[in-house]
Amino acid sequence: MKEFEMREAGQDKNLRAKVGVYICECGPNIAGKVDLDKIIADLSQLDDYQDVELVVKKYGFLCSGPGKEFLEEEIRSNGYTHLVVGACSPRDHDSTFMGVCKKTDLNPYLYRIINIREHCTWVIDDKEKATEKAFSYIRGGISRVLRQSELFEKPLDINPDVLVIGGGIAGMEAALSLSGEDRRVFLVEKTDHLGGISLDLSGLLPGQGEIIKNKIDSVTEDKNIRLFLNTSVETVIGFLGNFEIELVSIENAETTDIMAGAIVVATGSSLFDPGESAHLSYSESDEVYTSLSVEKMFSGEGEARLRSGKKPSSVALIHCVGREEKNYCSGICCSYMMKLAGFFRNQSPDIQVTEFYRDLCLPQKDDQERYTEAEAAGVEFVRIKDISIKGTEVSFEKMNSKKSEQSFDMVVLAPAIVPSADTEELADLLTVPLDESGFFQEVHKMTNPVGTSTDGVFIVGTAHGPKGVSDSMQFARASAGQILTRLIPGEKLIPEVKVTEILEAYCTGCGNCLDVCVYGAIYSDDSRGISVVNEAVCRGCGNCYGSCPSGALRTKHFTNTQLYREVDEALR
Amino acid sequence: MKKEFTPRITSFLCKWCTYTGADLAGTARLQYPTSIIPIQVMCSSRVDPVFLIKAFLSGSDGVLIGGCHPGDCHYETGNYHARRRFAIVKSVFESLGLESQRLKLSWISASEGPKFARVANEYTEEIMELGENPTRKNIFL
Ligand SMILES: Cc1cc2nc3c(=O)[nH]c(=O)nc-3n(C[C@H](O)[C@H](O)[C@H](O)COP(=O)(O)OP(=O)(O)OC[C@H]3O[C@@H](n4cnc5c(N)ncnc54)[C@H](O)[C@@H]3O)c2cc1C
Ligand code: SF4
Ligand code: SF4
Repeated sequence: MKEFEMREAGQDKNLRAKVGVYICECGPNIAGKVDLDKIIADLSQLDDYQDVELVVKKYGFLCSGPGKEFLEEEIRSNGYTHLVVGACSPRDHDSTFMGVCKKTDLNPYLYRIINIREHCTWVIDDKEKATEKAFSYIRGGISRVLRQSELFEKPLDINPDVLVIGGGIAGMEAALSLSGEDRRVFLVEKTDHLGGISLDLSGLLPGQGEIIKNKIDSVTEDKNIRLFLNTSVETVIGFLGNFEIELVSIENAETTDIMAGAIVVATGSSLFDPGESAHLSYSESDEVYTSLSVEKMFSGEGEARLRSGKKPSSVALIHCVGREEKNYCSGICCSYMMKLAGFFRNQSPDIQVTEFYRDLCLPQKDDQERYTEAEAAGVEFVRIKDISIKGTEVSFEKMNSKKSEQSFDMVVLAPAIVPSADTEELADLLTVPLDESGFFQEVHKMTNPVGTSTDGVFIVGTAHGPKGVSDSMQFARASAGQILTRLIPGEKLIPEVKVTEILEAYCTGCGNCLDVCVYGAIYSDDSRGISVVNEAVCRGCGNCYGSCPSGALRTKHFTNTQLYREVDEALR
Repeated sequence: MKKEFTPRITSFLCKWCTYTGADLAGTARLQYPTSIIPIQVMCSSRVDPVFLIKAFLSGSDGVLIGGCHPGDCHYETGNYHARRRFAIVKSVFESLGLESQRLKLSWISASEGPKFARVANEYTEEIMELGENPTRKNIFL
């Protein structure tokens, strides 16, 4: 253990440590709340360490310009091996003082900030008690810093190009946003055309079809966008700034290797199979259609006819198909069903349109208006508790419990939006987890819905979850924004240095740690029979440590020795 | 005269949530006892079961783990791992007849300064009632 500690202290046995301890007065915030002179006197007399020389000083505002210059000069002229700053929260000024160290020869990881303001002087009014606590807190800091090791930041070259998977509206928008800022984009689409589902939609807004067609033209003509149709992604390895990707042609199995710094997943969604619903029974020949096939009829021929070629004179629009089974609301069906009701009424003004719904979800700005209009125009909205559909016979139970039956010429189902077919496979390839509904999991629903746990992989459009065209495009732009600000051509990326390493001598290769790491930062090196951390991917959370039965892991800057030292020191 | 007992509560606080929550308690000048000894970790999941035992056997009167709320972990699922490991140590404590109240896990977000101060105060009181850690430095690891 002793030897290990020496190594961690980064010192040679012969090298005497000289620790500079600087306490910031922070105006009255610290100086007014504790007896600084007593703390300095007590610290100066510490005889905790034989070979350690302590220099303890105070200063008005260490984070000020003159304060930083003072500190820099002190480090230089005294030749400190370690530095402790008693001041505010590391959230405020850890990077400030690390910056000061970087200007000198002192490795910034041999410095430590002790938060005596937020965690002591601001929360303890009793001066004597606060003084005592600040003293022990700083003493602990000295002991901790002596166990810290030098760490070195290794700036990495980055590749600013981007791979976009999926050529629907979301993927096209991401590609165009990036190319507009002069980024090269590889756009991979598995079918033989761009546009995705939006291409089949009958238009929520007048002219929406044009918008999609214009986007397809822009993408096709864009010099920065290299389009791969009929192509899928075969392998992905790497991390933010450096992904190596193999693409494979679906037609002739030919492969292409590309490199990119970031990946945008825009693989869209599928529809719930109505055949799986317990409430429905129908066969191919029945006049029962999914909303998407009706959208196609309207966007294709401009009208929706029955198999007999006749126009329907009554239509049932069934909302929420699969909502119960899937246990979430798809959020867009109510508004597009009202849109379809309008199309049916346009084609035959006398048509009887009935919408059966469990709950109406009207989240967009003008949804309420559309609902009021539809109702005024004679569309019947029936809120149901239960429904069962046999062919075009609809039996339903209204909220007031009355059971009824009604027959229609045509039944249109709005199936839930579900993850697209390749989602699981892609998630595996990209080491991105899926949420409970099976869509790609975001970093945080509110604060970062486009990011994923694999830094550098983003999710946009309905690959992230059900949403309309407009939100799909917003997500795409948000991902482009993050990529443009994080991967800047010519600039390097500094990966986290406080990462975990596996000590080869202790690792038995059991693989426990592999399962714990959500970032997939650990891989097994079969030739050596051990596990290895990819330091460029590791975030240094330390979670894996607790899973290792042989103590083979070591989280830099938060090693056990360092943490034990802090505990022991606190309990003296 | 009996010396006033100030408990020592070793508190492992995750950098992203609870440590920041503690900062906020400071910014708001909320008062809590000197018993809380904050030790920053990147994630509550870094708190290996052995740490709890070590902190206890080294004489902590209480050991507190503070992490992000479930679903809010900066590292996605770290706090779930922390919770599982914590539960195991707690049940080991119980089966050994040790006072498992000396271990506490609390979810305190970066915006919950008042909650941090409340937990600090309440837990200190709880430990005051339990008294000094009886194993204090009697068992070594
Ligand atoms: C019936 C229906 C009606 C709708 N009506 C409206 C409406 O009126 N207004 C509105 O705003 N929204 C509407 N929507 C929602 C709208 O369709 C979506 O918001 C939009 O299509 C999402 O775009 P996207 O690019 O994310 O996905 P998609 O349009 O699904 O595109 C995904 C693309 O990725 C490709 N792909 C999939 N997997 C892979 C892979 N592994 N590799 C390469 N490529 C892949 C697909 O081939 C496809 O081209 C409707 C949806 C449905 C189902
Ligand atoms: S420290 Fe965290 S991110 Fe790094 S390998 Fe371990 S579990 Fe993965
Ligand atoms: S858990 Fe420990 S012993 Fe097992 S593979 Fe990971 S580092 Fe090696």
